[in-house]
Amino acid sequence: MRLLWVGISLVGAAAWGVIALHRGETISAAWLVLAAVGTYLVGFRFYSRFLANRVLGLDGRRATPAERLNNGRDFVPTTRWVLFGHHFAAIAGAGPLVGPVLAAQFGWLPGTIWIVFGVVLGGAVQDFVILFGSMRRDGKSLGQMAKEEVGPVTGMLTMLAILAIMIILLAVLALVVTNALKDSPWGVFSLLCTIPIALGMGFWMKAVRPGKTVEASIVGFALLLAALAGGRYVAQSAALAPLFTHGGVTIAWALMVYGFLASVLPVWLLLAPRDYLSTFMKIGTVALLAVGILVVMPPLRMPAMTRFVDGTGPVFAGKLFPFAFITIACGAISGFHALVSSGTTPKMIRTEPDARVIGYGGMLMESFVAIMAMCAAAALDPGVYFAINAPLGTLGGTVASAAQKIGSWGFTVTPDQLSGLAQQVGEKTLLGRVGGAPSLAVGMAHIFSSATASRLMGLWYHFAIMFEALFILTTLDAGTRVGRFMLQELLGHLSKPLGRTSWYPSTILASLLVVAAWGYFLIQGVLDPLGGINSLWPLFGISNQLLAGVALCVGTTLIIKAGKARYAWVTLAPLAWLLAVTLTAGWQKIFAADPRLGFLSHARDTAAKVAAGAVDPATGARLMLNDRLDALLAGIFMATVVALLLASAREWLAVARGRKPAVVRETPFVESAYA
Amino acid sequence: MREGGKTEGRKDGRFDGIPLSVFPSFRLSVLARLHSALKQITGMPDYAGYLAHMAERHPDRRPVSEREFFDQYVNARYGDGASRCC
Repeated sequence: MRLLWVGISLVGAAAWGVIALHRGETISAAWLVLAAVGTYLVGFRFYSRFLANRVLGLDGRRATPAERLNNGRDFVPTTRWVLFGHHFAAIAGAGPLVGPVLAAQFGWLPGTIWIVFGVVLGGAVQDFVILFGSMRRDGKSLGQMAKEEVGPVTGMLTMLAILAIMIILLAVLALVVTNALKDSPWGVFSLLCTIPIALGMGFWMKAVRPGKTVEASIVGFALLLAALAGGRYVAQSAALAPLFTHGGVTIAWALMVYGFLASVLPVWLLLAPRDYLSTFMKIGTVALLAVGILVVMPPLRMPAMTRFVDGTGPVFAGKLFPFAFITIACGAISGFHALVSSGTTPKMIRTEPDARVIGYGGMLMESFVAIMAMCAAAALDPGVYFAINAPLGTLGGTVASAAQKIGSWGFTVTPDQLSGLAQQVGEKTLLGRVGGAPSLAVGMAHIFSSATASRLMGLWYHFAIMFEALFILTTLDAGTRVGRFMLQELLGHLSKPLGRTSWYPSTILASLLVVAAWGYFLIQGVLDPLGGINSLWPLFGISNQLLAGVALCVGTTLIIKAGKARYAWVTLAPLAWLLAVTLTAGWQKIFAADPRLGFLSHARDTAAKVAAGAVDPATGARLMLNDRLDALLAGIFMATVVALLLASAREWLAVARGRKPAVVRETPFVESAYA
Repeated sequence: MREGGKTEGRKDGRFDGIPLSVFPSFRLSVLARLHSALKQITGMPDYAGYLAHMAERHPDRRPVSEREFFDQYVNARYGDGASRCC
């Protein structure tokens, strides 16, 4: 057994060695996968065991909420590996796929290192600690834990921070979908089809054959594939194609209408069936991608490091530090997981020791998805990668101008190559499709079609686009609904009837407000001449990592109050790193002198252009308002987290100095029947 | 699908010292167990598991119908907007 672990460690170390020594030459994606998996296994075997036994003290004799409160519905003791799958499906989304693709502008090496080591020492620790804390408290949410263990003000701040972050998250994800679908009749048609398919499934499960969810989902999935194939026909038909060809603004409005409807309609009709479909797709496609990468073992054509580490990159502005760590987002550490880890999952854990593989292991799996996304992006020709991901404003409108511009960055790509690729995947153009989803889809299509047949490239591309869009829409509808409930809870403090979630006028008002909030940022992103991802994705990354900071603050408090202050470094160290990264990034986004990077200097730059007559005053005023709004939001995020940190630190010191007893508010011990 | 959770022959409701409720689909065929696992992974309502739970824990109470269970489950899971990640 010990020999096995020595072997695994050696293989992992050797893979890192190959990566370190082969810089400058093309290496195979296999080395990345090997290095990552080796590190995960060692991290899981040793570090997570240390966390489980020494720091948290998982106790197999202690009954879990699922066992004590078992009601056959939400509190259900669930087999470990089934729950692992369920938890993974709940935390995985578009984030770990899109983030690494964008971060590939720095080359594949910096992102890969952060994805692998960030998760082992940070992301997985956060998920595990919060899952543990919630499990010991009958499945309480992050906000409730913050309120009880730190204080009521902290609880309120956490709620507000979550709501604000949710708005930005929804806006940026909607923007990713919009950019992938604009002027793409194939994509629009197949995604539109998912709505009637979901409605049909919902109706079937509710009225025709109640509760028969699996059969409905299988039929739904088959219809989905039919819609995908039908999309090609639509795109090639002169009569139908124009009906499904829409610009960004129209698609953005359609997404807003969809989010609103999903928030007010009964859940069985739209939300639940879509969730089943997207979970099927998610697990299936992630498995397919893993097999594809292992079979094809694509060479990584992107350099390990590009010249854009200096901050001049076209995909997003900013230097390697801190922006590589902001952009990767969910693949290494994600604050949003703290919401899932303190939601459904803790109510289903059968015995305490299971929390280790579910909390820590589930996040390792998510990180592996991020590594695969990085492989898919780095397997693309760098010229093609930049043609898809650089904003149209930078590339110019034609393949010739794009090829020339990309050539000036030191990457060769021919106009024919670009137009040929677009034709292969069934699009008019791939230029400037910022947001990560299209380039990931090209990367995936490239891998899948070299494993199958190259004439299937278009089908695979649209399969990947549909898969990403489907689960972004699932986040969009669930997120709008969560936002609506949070807003109703907050409004309830102002006026009692507004807090009643079953009162239709309140539901409609709150849903409208939430959709208007993310819709505003979405529309501004669509109209942004630099493509919007430039400003919104860093804002999302900052907010998501700051939410992770909040979770780690709460986690540290739990550890210290449990009398384990000597081990508090397990959460304090990632917290310190995250704060250094996010506060630096936030500061730079607000105050940097470079107008490409800093919101305020961009506003000044726009004002100068308006004065010089280069930008018309109405557009200029809108751009400046957005810059200031973005700056304000970044400032609010930073201030909230600093306030939370100070409030938590006061608690930590009070406990450390003995002014407060080290007591946690866990549910009392009950002997487990499983032990 | 048969109603799971009948515990005759194991009066203490345990199997190898583990309560039967752990295995919602105990004694069901491999296919039915796969079906049940698939439902749990994707977060779908598992009526067979619920029936097993009722038989094991509350033999005196009448389980709700499959239709009603579906409604209750979906509302419990999505009513306040399922938390899920980016």
